[in-house]
Amino acid sequence: MRPNPKKLLEWIKPGAPTDEELECMKLLQPGDYEIYTEKLNNFLLESKEVFLKLGVSSMLRSGDLVTGIYAPSGDMVAAWCGTYLHAVVGQLPIKYVAETWIKDPTVGCKDGDIFYCSDPLYGGIHNCDQIVVMPVFNDDELIAWTNAAVHQPETGACEPGGMPLTAKTRHDEGMLLSPIKIGENFRLREDLVEMCVNLMSRAPRMQAIDMRARLSAADRLRTRLVALAQEKGNDFVKGLFRRILIEAEEGTRRRIREWNDGTYRAVCFMDIVGEKHKLVRNYLTLHKKDDRLIWDFTGTSPETDSPQHCMPHALAANVAIHLMSYSFHDLPVSGGIFAPMEWIVPDGCMFNPHYEAAQSNSAPSCHGAMTLGTICMSKLMFDSPQRELVAAATGNTGVGIIVSGENQWGVLIADFLAFGLNTEGHGARSDMDGIDAYGFSHCPTGRAPDVEDIENEFQFFNLVAKLCKDSGGFGKYRGGAGTETIYSVNYVNYALYNSHVKGSKVRNCIGLFGGYPPGTLPGIEVLHTDLWEKLKRGDKDIPTGAVQLISERTIKGDYKISSIFQKTHVMENGDIWVVFSGGGAGYGDVLERAPEMVMDDLRREIISHWTAENVYHVAYDPETLEADVEKTKQLRKKERENRKARAMTWAEFEKEWSQLRPPEDILDYYGSWPDGKKTREIIRL
Amino acid sequence: MSSVRQITEYLNIDLEKELWCCNRCGYELISARENYKKGCLVYIRKDPTTIYNSVLTGPFSFSPDPDWAMLVEFYCPNCGVMIENEMLPPGHPVTHDIELDIDKLKEKYLTAKSDK
Ligand SMILES: [Zn+2]
Repeated sequence: MRPNPKKLLEWIKPGAPTDEELECMKLLQPGDYEIYTEKLNNFLLESKEVFLKLGVSSMLRSGDLVTGIYAPSGDMVAAWCGTYLHAVVGQLPIKYVAETWIKDPTVGCKDGDIFYCSDPLYGGIHNCDQIVVMPVFNDDELIAWTNAAVHQPETGACEPGGMPLTAKTRHDEGMLLSPIKIGENFRLREDLVEMCVNLMSRAPRMQAIDMRARLSAADRLRTRLVALAQEKGNDFVKGLFRRILIEAEEGTRRRIREWNDGTYRAVCFMDIVGEKHKLVRNYLTLHKKDDRLIWDFTGTSPETDSPQHCMPHALAANVAIHLMSYSFHDLPVSGGIFAPMEWIVPDGCMFNPHYEAAQSNSAPSCHGAMTLGTICMSKLMFDSPQRELVAAATGNTGVGIIVSGENQWGVLIADFLAFGLNTEGHGARSDMDGIDAYGFSHCPTGRAPDVEDIENEFQFFNLVAKLCKDSGGFGKYRGGAGTETIYSVNYVNYALYNSHVKGSKVRNCIGLFGGYPPGTLPGIEVLHTDLWEKLKRGDKDIPTGAVQLISERTIKGDYKISSIFQKTHVMENGDIWVVFSGGGAGYGDVLERAPEMVMDDLRREIISHWTAENVYHVAYDPETLEADVEKTKQLRKKERENRKARAMTWAEFEKEWSQLRPPEDILDYYGSWPDGKKTREIIRL
Repeated sequence: MSSVRQITEYLNIDLEKELWCCNRCGYELISARENYKKGCLVYIRKDPTTIYNSVLTGPFSFSPDPDWAMLVEFYCPNCGVMIENEMLPPGHPVTHDIELDIDKLKEKYLTAKSDK
């Protein structure tokens, strides 16, 4: 019986300690907690390396994955991150197996069993994310679970790439596995593996190899835990696990208690629904009271007939990426962090849709919520000892560029071009710029693949891969720059390409304390080009960036400027397209940015001269790039006066602003204006 | 312990006076129980290309589409510092982003002060 969404959400929090666990905690001698939590972390690091070395798909090899250790109850004890959200939701299928299949005489659970799952209705994020789960037995007692999870870039859906923009219901999304026993005696059952591989006939080799990579990682972790239990005893392990959960919970509560009580709100907007450009709203009201945080997403736009939804537990897990990488980064990556939290996610909003809803775009649909979490937490933490953790939003464009077809070696693939995915800009901080090309919004440690690796493996030539000028939000501290890459189809006659990147109309990434959000991202394609002829001739005017490509147009071809968001279409040999990964948002007033920092941005080609003059109002010598500090002061003083002269009082503003409204046709999926309430029923076939 | 707390980069709260004040110049904006934005000067940046320089024009460029979103900027009426901004669809209500429990804050910081 499928668990209900409320139960899945509650399962993110740890269960209460048992008397036995509390008793077992007494076995820990001084120093044991520190030594053995570090040992667990080392086990995780090793299993992550095993995982990375054995798999083939792009996200796996970029490290956008997780391996985790869970208590027999399913509570998360430790995880290598990786992708924090997988660690958090990893608890839920385990809790489901622990509650149902263990007791079921037709399934059961014994040493050597292997469970596998991908269905968000059973606790996953979206069906691309396949999770392997193994019970850990020592002396016939279940002492733990291990898991290994990573996004599989093909699901056998109605479009290649596992995240079909045209999906209307879950029946369009391909393989959805509720937790099943897929192996026994430490081996996968080949009949079931065959079924999965067969369902992924667009990229069968990737499925076959990555399934085994997951299992190898989870099993390596299992063997280390068995060895630990044999050395220290099962009771010691139980005591250690509970102590970790308690330390994390107490540390989290202690920190929250110090912060100012109040209500913090933020709103941002997403510009895609299904395969269309439409406006939807994400809204967060964060209540901080004593030692509790209450996350209320009321005001978020309603569910639609698109795949841009997620389950409440997936929403909570995505927002937890901020919690685990900023606010509580120094506490154990464990379920204890969630004990002081509650979530309010109204039925029928895009974060809590009907169970038949498509939700293969779950992760990218949460980017707005991730922005809101970062902004509200930063406003909460500024007047606290955690001020150094205050940050504007990360790029949050979700650079899902998916390609499929035969690669240059004749192997069928459907995979991410993971360079853009893992090079979004970081949000600016209260004391420093955001990191340029820092990583993946879901995975701070994600690593972009080398250009040479991409060219050696895929069916593409990589003309450009560099930081994108003016892409980080401007401010006293600048958002980290995103990247621009230019690809061309090579070796093969054609490739299929689709893009889930958001932000061609409005970005869902917002600034902090007067820092600007980053700019939008257009889609650029050049079809039927003379690129190969130019390269053969050794032409010197081959563009080295996207702006040069579209402004100088030295490559002949049909230039197509549209949205960066593209449904699956064919690109022919020699066709070119541009990928942008979004920059992060800015922090603080641009007029407070140190003139030397602006000059440094110019030297590194992170910003344009136009921006230095018109946004930052810096006076400088364009030849030497030396700032004139005195003249800059005058320019900025004048700009402050200009601001006051052009601005209105609140009453005047309200009068003018309330007369404005977006065009009706972009509000089709928004819900009621402006509060985003449900206005119609969605009928799913 | 001072009765003034710095709440954001540009905003202080004077707990004794219960006022939002500019952190840079000390200007008294509005009651701490109100949305501080109501005490600011407000500018509607209807043309985002004044911030986002774009070599492309037309419906898809490097600058947000003003039909979809405009920048609303909040300035200190005295020193002109930009206290906050919001990227909002035209006409969308401004966010009451920070609503502190003032009584709790006073209890936390002023009581502690008088105890000492
Ligand atoms: Zn001021």
